[in-house]
Amino acid sequence: MTRARLILITAIWAICVSGAQTQSAPLPLHANARQQAAGDQSSSRSAGGLDVRLPLLQNSVRFAVIGDSGTGDRDQYEVARQMEAYRQAVKFDFVIMLGDNIYGSHSARDFAKKFEEPYKPLLDAGVKFYASLGNHDDPNDERLYKPFNMGGQRYYAFRKGPVAFFALDSNYMDPQQLDWLNQNLKDSKGTWKICFFHHPLYNDGRHHGPDVDLRTQLLPLFQQYDVNAVFSGHEHVYQRMKPEKGIYYFVLGNSGKLMTHDFRKSADREKGFDTDRTFMIVEIAGDKLHFQVISRTGETVDSGELPKAVPTPTSGERR
Amino acid sequence: MQIRISNCLWKNLLVVSAFTGIFCSGVLAQSSNDQPTVKDFQDRIAKYIASRKQENVAHDSSASPAKVTDQQKQAAQKIRHSRVGAKQGDIFTPRIAAYFKKQLEATLKGPNGAKVRTSLQHAEPLPNVPLSVNQKYPPNLPLQSTPPTLLLNLPRLPSELQYRLVGQTLVLYDTGADLIVDLLPDAIPGDVNKK
Repeated sequence: MTRARLILITAIWAICVSGAQTQSAPLPLHANARQQAAGDQSSSRSAGGLDVRLPLLQNSVRFAVIGDSGTGDRDQYEVARQMEAYRQAVKFDFVIMLGDNIYGSHSARDFAKKFEEPYKPLLDAGVKFYASLGNHDDPNDERLYKPFNMGGQRYYAFRKGPVAFFALDSNYMDPQQLDWLNQNLKDSKGTWKICFFHHPLYNDGRHHGPDVDLRTQLLPLFQQYDVNAVFSGHEHVYQRMKPEKGIYYFVLGNSGKLMTHDFRKSADREKGFDTDRTFMIVEIAGDKLHFQVISRTGETVDSGELPKAVPTPTSGERR
Repeated sequence: MQIRISNCLWKNLLVVSAFTGIFCSGVLAQSSNDQPTVKDFQDRIAKYIASRKQENVAHDSSASPAKVTDQQKQAAQKIRHSRVGAKQGDIFTPRIAAYFKKQLEATLKGPNGAKVRTSLQHAEPLPNVPLSVNQKYPPNLPLQSTPPTLLLNLPRLPSELQYRLVGQTLVLYDTGADLIVDLLPDAIPGDVNKK
């Protein structure tokens, strides 16, 4: 064997080994000194080496949030692995999807690569996914795709304990959907009302910005029927906006896609993160919503406890 | 003390509150002259839906995306065959087209016009997309969201159909069959989509 051939074989072997390591290397997870059982009320705990900041109270409603996830790229898989690690610690049993669930083509292979495979451990554990539609989704395929639990509809509602969820189709907010939302919010017996949809009503991202016409139509309903929190995607960053008239607004559109350094200066944003992908875990217990936003690498980028706000009218309107 | 409000004052209050409601929601009042045009449009839509129902299009949920896609292809094929010879303007006749353009223009110039324009600009407008009547909507393209105030000022559609903006074109779209039923080019002015 010549020397050149030996060098070539060694180089190929080195590339293969490093590639395999890239695929299988465990993700860095933040350790925490304390490990406590579920039911405790500490503000930060370690469960399986994770930095869990939810109180994990008995009979609470726990769920995860992802947005703009369906790329099928490595980053989506890494976020999904963090989600599974946190699921084991937090025991959330459903996930809400904020749209752009499947980017690009929508073949059976795409559904596998961009949804079924990354979230397989969650699906195998019985976690249910509730999808809303984004501008890159195919409403015809996705609303009929059983694992998205849309019941064949573009928009729908479901209850988890005292929390009522309303999944909306912000691509096409027609009068029928507005009528449906009006009636369902009015009839809802949920003590918490959460709406989720793709296009954000408030958004400090430079790429898309807020959907102001959608806001004009939805905000009066949200205020009239005391909606507590709104989750949207579309802008490929994480943002927690200042509460507006008693409603909390989150934008999480970076569970697969990412738009780095996307923020404009704004006093309306309480927290923003635009340098990596994230997902969120939420726990609702009594009159408090606890949340934690975790990056692809396991870093907690935002967390907190939000009281169920009593809606108070404010003057003026944001941009 | 009993407060008496005259009939005249009540009427004035009603007019003011109705006007305020219209102003806030951005819904424009419809002229009675337009009613025959709207009726003509609704009749054409009803005829399309009736013929579509005859084709017995299935839409069942499934865990198999391949099955869902196949179901949709079959639906589109059935409807396409039943509409052989369909052409642009079958539903958006010149008179209906003129009515739609008038409504869209009035909405863009109306009380919520600036917000509608901003939403249109943020909706990722799709220029130069090839569209044909009785053909599938071009696959793998992002959807351009349609501002709700625009939809409030157009005749309501049954759940099987949607209005969809593609660049400046208003598309009448069969959602279940993924099929373009009719087209209205230059429905909105070109400068509206520019940021």
